[in-house]
Amino acid sequence: MRKSKSMSALIFLAVGIFLLIASNFVDELRVYQGAQVAVYVIAISSIILLTGFSGQISLGHGALMAIGGYAAALSYIHWHVPFLASFIIGSFSAAVAGFILGLAAARLSGPYLAGTTLALAVGLPSLANQFHVLGGEQGLSFDIGEAPMWIAHKTGGDFTQYKWFFWISTICAITTIWFIKNLLQSRYGRTWKAVRGNPSAAALSGINIGQSKVLAFTLSSALAGLSGALLAMLLGLVAPMAFTLTLSFTIVTGAVLAGVTNLTGSIVGALVLVVIPELTDAVATHLGGSEKISANLPGLITSALLILTVLFAPNGPQLHKRKKVGNPS
Amino acid sequence: MLILDTLLIGLSSGAIYALMALALVLVWRSTRVVNFAQAGQAILSTYIGFEAMNRTHNYWVSIPFAIIAGAAIAAFVDAVIMRALSKRSHKGSVSEIAPVIATLGLLGLIRSLTGIIWGNAYVQYASPLSGKGYSIGHHTIPFSPQNTLIVIGALLVMASFAIVFKYTNLGLALRASSFQPEISRLAGIRVDRIRTIGWAFSGAAGAVAGALVTPTSYLSPNSLDLLLVSGFVAAVIGGLDSLIGAVLGGLILGIGFAFILQYVGTSVTFSAAFIILIVVLFLRPRGILGSQIGRRDA
Repeated sequence: MRKSKSMSALIFLAVGIFLLIASNFVDELRVYQGAQVAVYVIAISSIILLTGFSGQISLGHGALMAIGGYAAALSYIHWHVPFLASFIIGSFSAAVAGFILGLAAARLSGPYLAGTTLALAVGLPSLANQFHVLGGEQGLSFDIGEAPMWIAHKTGGDFTQYKWFFWISTICAITTIWFIKNLLQSRYGRTWKAVRGNPSAAALSGINIGQSKVLAFTLSSALAGLSGALLAMLLGLVAPMAFTLTLSFTIVTGAVLAGVTNLTGSIVGALVLVVIPELTDAVATHLGGSEKISANLPGLITSALLILTVLFAPNGPQLHKRKKVGNPS
Repeated sequence: MLILDTLLIGLSSGAIYALMALALVLVWRSTRVVNFAQAGQAILSTYIGFEAMNRTHNYWVSIPFAIIAGAAIAAFVDAVIMRALSKRSHKGSVSEIAPVIATLGLLGLIRSLTGIIWGNAYVQYASPLSGKGYSIGHHTIPFSPQNTLIVIGALLVMASFAIVFKYTNLGLALRASSFQPEISRLAGIRVDRIRTIGWAFSGAAGAVAGALVTPTSYLSPNSLDLLLVSGFVAAVIGGLDSLIGAVLGGLILGIGFAFILQYVGTSVTFSAAFIILIVVLFLRPRGILGSQIGRRDA
């Protein structure tokens, strides 16, 4: 089922251009939410790469996103690098952290790995208070500014900052999916699937299991770092409050809702994560706008969806039907 | 003097970690699941205790309410969700992480529910006991009557667990069905039912931890999250399937944290939890008293 590479690259390009043009016809809030979706797509696909294809779990990707965000902000503020370079620095820093964590992770099985990464997610953000350079509870501002003039001129002048954010994050998200898609068809992708399907058989065929797991963890962390840097750009700051335990849980939820072995599902997962608060807000105002309900209804619904998915369609809504064809284990 | 003070702080927090670790270990032994929903269950039972205290104005009456609620919630979780999950254990890449995800979902569900019922604002679940340390001469030691209650409460829970597990038929059934479920079933033990009882014990231990520790700070839908992490680290230090190990792990972690707090700083404590966990997993993955080679064959 090898599609020609140029064909799929063309499809990605078309989707990208369509989205970018579409951003001209919707209001500011939707543009911002579109950017949010793109950031979640990257974060969720980092989990899909890790869990769905390499069989490892992480409840600590929020912490890796924090590393990406802080590294991007620090390099932008102190070294005055261009913002794109700061994203790369953020992504790279998270990859280094992920490599170290991956060395530990490759030796741990499911629940131990979950607990260890959970401890990281809880512990790391509080470090911001310990070191002055990280700005404490208030965090650091990360303002990449307006779009460059030439884009604004070409599009008729009303090129807002949110639209600029949307462009950046959408291009990053599409590149990410395209990158992972190709990666999964490469030797590494086949190796991960082999290890996930049957570790002993994979080891007997000469695959270095530890190495393959560490590589998956490192790449996944790099993507998490990129999404963290983009999230920081959207928020305009990096602060411990932005990278809570809830964020780690949220992206795992998105990945499960997407179907953890379904890369394009990450778009569905990200949409769900952004749409549910919007819907519940409407419901909450309808019910009288109680603060208690509007603050907690999104969590209630996503958690309920998560449990139902695990119980009834653990391989994700889409893949469920063709489960029998899937990996023999 | 300072060292003694630090030890006392560690003793009290260690007792709470030990209770949480006990709750996690009990579930792990019977179900092979690290129950991340434990923090949620303990929060809900503590809120029920809080509600009982608002009605009766008596902290002592509210504690049994919290314990019974904790046991009931845990039994419900096992009977309704965990049992369904293990019956439908799908093959495939998610089979190993499905229980982890399910307990996470539960944690979120319970947390949002308590938020809807009681709100997200911090509330006080106050104990009549003073939170001020005893003074000996001019020196005030950092150990209050409430800390005494915490230590005594934890000891009571541990003692009753020890008695149940060692000297009763129920305890024997609990041990047998977590050790060899198939053979226990053949021997006539209703393994599913026993497992639910084990969960109830675990829920009760978590509820005691929540009801005793909350008066020392505040109550909110996620005020016990950190306790969950400490409990997990303590359980791993002790060996995830040993009850005595859980208690030891809790004490070691509590005292370790107290020293870090005293000599390094507050904000590194939870990064320290992560580092301690990694060190333990590298050096002695099966923990102090764990019986298994561990972590790989979960």
